Amino acid sequence: MNSLPVLMGYLTMGFAAGVLLSVKALIPCAPLWSAIIAFSAISGTLSFAIVPAIAASDPFYSIAVLTFAINFRYAFYGFSMLGRWRGIPLLQKWFLVHSLADEIYALDVACRLPDPRKNRLYCLWNHALCAGYWVIGSTVGALAGAALPIPSRGIEFAMVALFLVIFTDQMKGRLHRHAL
Amino acid sequence: MPSDNTLYLISVVVTAWAVTFALRALPFVLFAGRKRPLPRAVERFGDLVSPVIIAGLIVYSYSGLAWRTAWPYLAGALTVGLQIWKGNPLSSILAGTALYMALLAVTGCASVPIEHLESKAAHPLIRVTTSGLRFQDRPVTPAEAVKLLEKNGVPKDQTLHVLVDPDFDDQQALWVFQHNYLHRAGYAKALLMIGERRAFSGSARLKESSADGTVIPYAPHQPPERR
Repeated sequence: MNSLPVLMGYLTMGFAAGVLLSVKALIPCAPLWSAIIAFSAISGTLSFAIVPAIAASDPFYSIAVLTFAINFRYAFYGFSMLGRWRGIPLLQKWFLVHSLADEIYALDVACRLPDPRKNRLYCLWNHALCAGYWVIGSTVGALAGAALPIPSRGIEFAMVALFLVIFTDQMKGRLHRHAL
Repeated sequence: MPSDNTLYLISVVVTAWAVTFALRALPFVLFAGRKRPLPRAVERFGDLVSPVIIAGLIVYSYSGLAWRTAWPYLAGALTVGLQIWKGNPLSSILAGTALYMALLAVTGCASVPIEHLESKAAHPLIRVTTSGLRFQDRPVTPAEAVKLLEKNGVPKDQTLHVLVDPDFDDQQALWVFQHNYLHRAGYAKALLMIGERRAFSGSARLKESSADGTVIPYAPHQPPERR
């Protein structure tokens, strides 16, 4: 299906985030927490950024500020889904909103089905599958990080690289729009 | 009965979820009954603010890397270059991270000069444990640790011993703490020491500081001998 590229991306990025959490955050039961964090805020960037905060035992209000700054962009994704998701039962809509992350959103936008029922099923499947990949990747990564001596020095660059990629894409999007 | 650690992690997860969900749900709450398309200004605002926030995060997160060396900038250039060229986030991130890790491994520039002076750890105010940084027994961030040192009038011209748990193996984190925090704040003689294992056993408790904030020297509680 359409979500195959996301499958590769989410499994790998989830794996990296899981390794980072189990190696750097220094908490017990890291795989369990990795899965919980992965599912509770389906947000790759946050999964990386939260690790140093946990390692430093930052209080919850610093976590709130960090989360707000990192995930601020999500507040704008919903706008283009307002019309498409109208009429979807509340519980299903909550799940769709809960899992509205970058790549999942991109797949939602990429596929426009005129039939509201097909559209709803497509979105639900897309969100459920991608969220599943993300949680599985994070859990396996944390298990591997706890069990194997993975060389980890410098792995924290993955988060900075993720920011750089997001920023580059945002700039590319701007240039593209100006060219049009 | 969940431990403090578990409660703390629950608070982290709930906070992260609540903030993220609130942000994602914002448009649906704001425009619940609206049929018309959005004002253009809202989209413009998002286009403008999001990159600014991400740029700020990039600058901030560089402070956690070996930012005095050229390596994070080289790896960053590779990441951005690949992303512009190929546009595949996964390969850009993996290539940049691999380059950074390789450069650190080859040059060893982030390794910490740790001196094994176990017996001198008589009154360390700061300890690095596997569950984070502690000032006396309080979990603190590196910045808070420096502030507490200054607040307690710890002299900057004397050797400051920082006790490190022998099981704590994040060399980079130690390097960043020593150089970017202690040395930069003027504690030029800050010294990292690997502590004895028993000082970090489960029952080790440090004395609390007294109510007026004065410092009571740290004396590790010795676990009772088993017979």
